[in-house]
Amino acid sequence: MTKPIAHFDNVSYLYPGAKVPALKNINLEIHQGEFLGLIGPTGAGKSTLCQTLNGSVPQFYGGRFFGQVIMAGLDTVEHPISELARHVGLVFEDPEMQLVAPSVENEIAFALENLRVPRAEIRARIPQVLAAVRLSGTEKRHPQELSGGQKQRLAIAAALAMRPALLVLDEPTSQLDPLGAAEVFATLRQLNRELGITILLTGHDAEELAAHADRIVLLAGGELVAQGTPQEIYSRVELLAAQQLRPPQVTRTFQLVRQRGVVIPQLPTRLAAGKRLLHALPTSCPTAKNEHVAAPDHLGPALLAIKNLTQRYANGTPALHNISLEIRAGEYVLLVGQNGAGKSTLVKHFLNLLTPTAGTVTVDGLDTRQLETSELAQRIGYVGQNPDDQLFTASVEDEVAFALQNLGYAEAEIERRVTVSLRQLGLVAQRTAHPLSLPRGDRARLVSAAMLAMEPEIIILDEPTTGQDYRGAKYILELSRELHQRGKTIIVITHHLYLMPEYAERVIVLGKGTILLDAPLRRAYHAKELLRRTYLTPPQAVLLAQELAPPAGGSAPLHVTPEEVAACFLPGGGR
Amino acid sequence: MSHFQSSYQRVARDSCFTRLDIRSKLFMICAVTAVALLWQNLAASGSLTLGIILVALWAGIDWHYIRSVLLLSTIFGVTLLFFHGFFPHVGIHQLAGRTTLTPLFTFPAHWRLLGGQSLYREGLLYGLSVLAKTLSVVLIIPVGIFTTELDNLIIGLVRAGLPYKIAFIFSSTLRFFPLLLTRIQTITEAQRLRGLALEKMGVVQKTHSYAKIAVPLILGVLLKSQMLELTLQARAFSGSSERTQLHDSRWGPGDYLLCACSTLFWGGALIAYFGWGIGKWRAKKREGE
Repeated sequence: MTKPIAHFDNVSYLYPGAKVPALKNINLEIHQGEFLGLIGPTGAGKSTLCQTLNGSVPQFYGGRFFGQVIMAGLDTVEHPISELARHVGLVFEDPEMQLVAPSVENEIAFALENLRVPRAEIRARIPQVLAAVRLSGTEKRHPQELSGGQKQRLAIAAALAMRPALLVLDEPTSQLDPLGAAEVFATLRQLNRELGITILLTGHDAEELAAHADRIVLLAGGELVAQGTPQEIYSRVELLAAQQLRPPQVTRTFQLVRQRGVVIPQLPTRLAAGKRLLHALPTSCPTAKNEHVAAPDHLGPALLAIKNLTQRYANGTPALHNISLEIRAGEYVLLVGQNGAGKSTLVKHFLNLLTPTAGTVTVDGLDTRQLETSELAQRIGYVGQNPDDQLFTASVEDEVAFALQNLGYAEAEIERRVTVSLRQLGLVAQRTAHPLSLPRGDRARLVSAAMLAMEPEIIILDEPTTGQDYRGAKYILELSRELHQRGKTIIVITHHLYLMPEYAERVIVLGKGTILLDAPLRRAYHAKELLRRTYLTPPQAVLLAQELAPPAGGSAPLHVTPEEVAACFLPGGGR
Repeated sequence: MSHFQSSYQRVARDSCFTRLDIRSKLFMICAVTAVALLWQNLAASGSLTLGIILVALWAGIDWHYIRSVLLLSTIFGVTLLFFHGFFPHVGIHQLAGRTTLTPLFTFPAHWRLLGGQSLYREGLLYGLSVLAKTLSVVLIIPVGIFTTELDNLIIGLVRAGLPYKIAFIFSSTLRFFPLLLTRIQTITEAQRLRGLALEKMGVVQKTHSYAKIAVPLILGVLLKSQMLELTLQARAFSGSSERTQLHDSRWGPGDYLLCACSTLFWGGALIAYFGWGIGKWRAKKREGE
């Protein structure tokens, strides 16, 4: 084992005014050259632990700090953050808020200028780090001209330029589309393997961490619960479930297979291993011909209709091109596509937040151009991507009551609806709290509560799972299912395809402002090549199902969940 | 898109102004401001304003920005014209060189509050002159600032003797004001999505509704500021002026030329003002005076 570059010695920490510690008796070493994954549910203390490494905790936040963190030989309490920054490169979740300079090269130079690195040396390092993150040639571009994945790689490059002993990334892919996340992980892997950079990464991407990390540390309630190789941690499915975490889908699938009586000595945590194991076991399942993919028969008339919709922004940039589609009452539609594909732009037309450049958009037969957004909002509840953009009152209950007051409800009815809505979203206990004092997951749920209190017939959830842990994401999606069962029409935009098979019925794939595919979920998830064209990857369960195609020819079963794939394995098989 | 970054109104195209150092442009701003404040004559002040608008357009300042400034100034202008037109202060009498001014019309005596009050020609001209001066000062600033890359702005200000921390705060503020406007728009949109019918509200209701935005606006900005501060510290930012620079300031022949022209303009305006009265208030002689 290599020597440790960071050492936590019995570290505990309380934020100012907090009664419960954010970190409790943490003892941990981070070794030179390793890729360490830090996992845990929301509120586990992952970000706090990351920020102890550069001294932001406790120097920036204050609070009570116990124990000692030694980073590159320096006590992080005794040395200023600006000095520790030489040794720890910190990359945050939001790529937007960490870019501070007007050009790519200035972004990289900023920290070096602060560290008084000579100009010639700065000029030498810029192309080096840009090459390392595969952004060569972008030196003069404004950071905002880059895509989400590129921005996050630029933030990594800016941190790398300081030549830190440790690169810490706090959920760097949570706000990126699959392409952006893949770019970031590929870059980190390259930096770790080829340049020997030590990496500490927090995140909820079980599949990616299983594929790339050398070691996983599980944190919960501020305590270090377990640590080990990805194989050791992710194969402990019950332990993960107890912390409301999920293993990679391949692990979950073979855990279910094992429960069918098949002997599996070691659960696979990587897809390649899962595929090898699949071919070594006896399977039997129906082929695609027998699969039920017909449209649900409970649907009503067309509620939302788009005809030949084209949208161009003021600068002439085309966002949507000649789109036509209908969404019927009672449908549950999943809208997918890479960032910039036009998903949010499309749904904003339903609320007259955008006016079509050409074509028409109707809601229940009424042209949206004839209606005000406030009128449409009574029928269509829209929950946008960033909860902080949608919270504007002084308390949780005021936030939910706001719409009801606008709609002219009596006080008693407002009170009743507020209580019901807060109970549905599990926010009753936070009723009097300030919205911005809640954790991000709760803030997102509050926006949903405020919207649901209006009881709209159509609900649009735009990236509801972004920034949520598995429990938070499931909470919102379970609520969407309940609303769907009550006859509401649901439209969800998300990159997290693995979450949706239990909920959505129809998938619309957008790419470059056009509809690439509009199909039942099973067919859409198995359109692997088409999804790849828009840089989406099907969930591992789908990729495993495709390995179940009969060797003699024929189609693979259109299975989409670990449960369905596991059902194909014959009981009693295995070694 | 990050509003913090993107909304600084850097001009979209290059011009001779984008190639100049911020220090020479600051010198130009000071010279033009001094002349604008010196001139009292409406024709001279108005000509200066018009000239600055043309220069601003040439420099690549967005017409929509200029139009917004002009529209906002109409409220200020109406107030100026009202007070100076109806209630001319003693300074206007002194400029006109007489105790009685020229009434353009008089409200009927039986009207409440304004009954018998006259609107004076000299007061109106004075108000228009003040409005032109103000517009000149307001519009010359973006010619210097918006034609400068933020990085060059900071370097130039530091070279001009400003502490780095102050220069950084100044440049950050430039980026932060548009962030506030964007955040207002975002909150308003979120309110409309919760059934707030701003379009059906009267002025008082609208004002009340906008006033309520202040708290979430400030809180949101404070949170973003905290995140930014954390990011800056993680990049070894300490505010110290003892730092290196990737780029140097670019003081060249064009900067000397601009400084020379600005000095000539300012000096020439002074000489013309005191020598031949150019730019001075020209009182119209009434018959018999």
